[in-house]
Amino acid sequence: MRGAVLPISMVPGDSPIHKIAPLPKLAWSFGVLIISFMTRNPAILGAIILAGIILVTIAQIWKPILKVMAILFPIMVTTVFLQSIAPAFPRPWTPITDIGPFTIYQEGIYSGITLFMRSFGMTLFSMVTIMTTHPSDLFSSLEKIGMPYTLNFILTVTLQLIPILQHEFTTVLSAQKSRGMKGTGFGAVLPSMVPVFVGAIERVQQLSISLESRAFGSTGKKTSYRNVVMRGKDYFILVTGFLATFALGYWIVVDKSLDWSRTMTFSPGLSLTLVITTALIFASFVTIGVTRVLRA
Amino acid sequence: MNEPLIVCENLTHIYPGDVTAVKNVNLKIHKGELIGVIGQNGSGKTTLVKHFNGLLKPTKGKVIVKGQDTSKMRVQDLSRNIGYVFQNPNHQLFAKTVIDELKFGPTNLGLPEDEVNERVEKAIAFFNLEMYRDHHPYRISFPLRKLVGMASIYTMQPDVFVMDEPTTGQDHITTRIVYRLIKKLRDEGSTVICVAHDMILLAEVVERMLVMRDATLIADTDPKTVFSDKELMASTHLSPPQITELSYRMRSKKMIGSIALNINELIDASSKKYNLKRSK
Repeated sequence: MRGAVLPISMVPGDSPIHKIAPLPKLAWSFGVLIISFMTRNPAILGAIILAGIILVTIAQIWKPILKVMAILFPIMVTTVFLQSIAPAFPRPWTPITDIGPFTIYQEGIYSGITLFMRSFGMTLFSMVTIMTTHPSDLFSSLEKIGMPYTLNFILTVTLQLIPILQHEFTTVLSAQKSRGMKGTGFGAVLPSMVPVFVGAIERVQQLSISLESRAFGSTGKKTSYRNVVMRGKDYFILVTGFLATFALGYWIVVDKSLDWSRTMTFSPGLSLTLVITTALIFASFVTIGVTRVLRA
Repeated sequence: MNEPLIVCENLTHIYPGDVTAVKNVNLKIHKGELIGVIGQNGSGKTTLVKHFNGLLKPTKGKVIVKGQDTSKMRVQDLSRNIGYVFQNPNHQLFAKTVIDELKFGPTNLGLPEDEVNERVEKAIAFFNLEMYRDHHPYRISFPLRKLVGMASIYTMQPDVFVMDEPTTGQDHITTRIVYRLIKKLRDEGSTVICVAHDMILLAEVVERMLVMRDATLIADTDPKTVFSDKELMASTHLSPPQITELSYRMRSKKMIGSIALNINELIDASSKKYNLKRSK
């Protein structure tokens, strides 16, 4: 009955990571985001992933992280396959070998692997931040650095609505099945969308009325129930985060030898295995997706 | 007795996250029975009845409907035998008009068009929906929408009619229609399973009661026994209808001899005691 609710939410805990204030964690995640997009160097990206893995271990959130990865991993692997045959990379491309109608390019594999590493590193860091921070703390911290309250509120409500709508959708779908819904595929699922959306709109209307009746949007300074205190340690982590991002960014810009796209070569055998494995994962991913939809 | 329609054998259901909603329930439901399911919120009533049409599959144990194990059957196929009326009609309705809504079920069963139309007309007449036949289901009031939800299952004419809280949020007129519906279904030989908090409804129409508490089935007997068992009722935090409460106190003061579930029974009980003639 209960739909597969996205497992992205706070995991209560008492680890050192949990104890860090939200802003330093956000700063680090943001730094990782910037660095990941600045470089394609596998060593730097690898180091980020390694750091992420260490953080996950310290925070003791492997179980929920693996759940998220189970969803994201096939998508990330798919990029390796798609990039190998159609690199998102400036030409000229160096062909390695042929597989059926496709040509595998050196730059493609490089680009695919680095894209994979990028998303992996960024996911790890952002998941650690989200899973070790209470949402209210996160939002009140964001408000402190000047994010408008309304925007904050929209974000919170949206995050809350996703699991509710998923649950609603499963209920509606089971109601249709109880009435002997025939047919498969999107055509059959479409009627279920009507009640879900009507329900969502009704819910939002009611929410807005109840918010207004509780003085939402009144002028004056808002107080917060949860008070986030930044301690010396937190400031230290925040500043190191900025410095590390800046230093690494500077190094990447200045040192051109970090671009390994032409120097890192892959043997035809290795490339073939890689492409075929990723292609298989891609294919099974698509098959599972399609059968799920058809069976619904 | 003949072959039971629904059999639960050691039915246990555990939701993800290790929440046991139903534990070791054994149950046989026969054709033509009128059954009420009561219990506090979260005691597992809805979870239990959702097994009957395959919306939920048992974690342990078995549910057998008309001799077939539900664990391998699709809800769509079970819906031919088991009709399920959802608590919130908004989850069920999606068509553009009430008529289309009522046609959806029987059409899915593959019935010929004139048969479908005949059933729909019967339902329209019974549920008093003539005025609203071409209305959009979302444009009519909540009680009527709930009736449309019931009618949309009624047109499928299942053997078993499962209703989740049929009278919640209903006004007096539509509640009467629900009463009439349950009695009519019984006259037509259908089995009715009613999950409800409305004790007055249950006291009036139901013949057998299932009482759930903390995921277990703690009683399976007739309503009179359930309602007069003070300890049982208290342990589920439910109270019997006021008329039963009254008759209970009257009995303890030796004013009447037996417990009454509705007004007529109380009148009967007191006339017996005082040798009064019942005026019609």
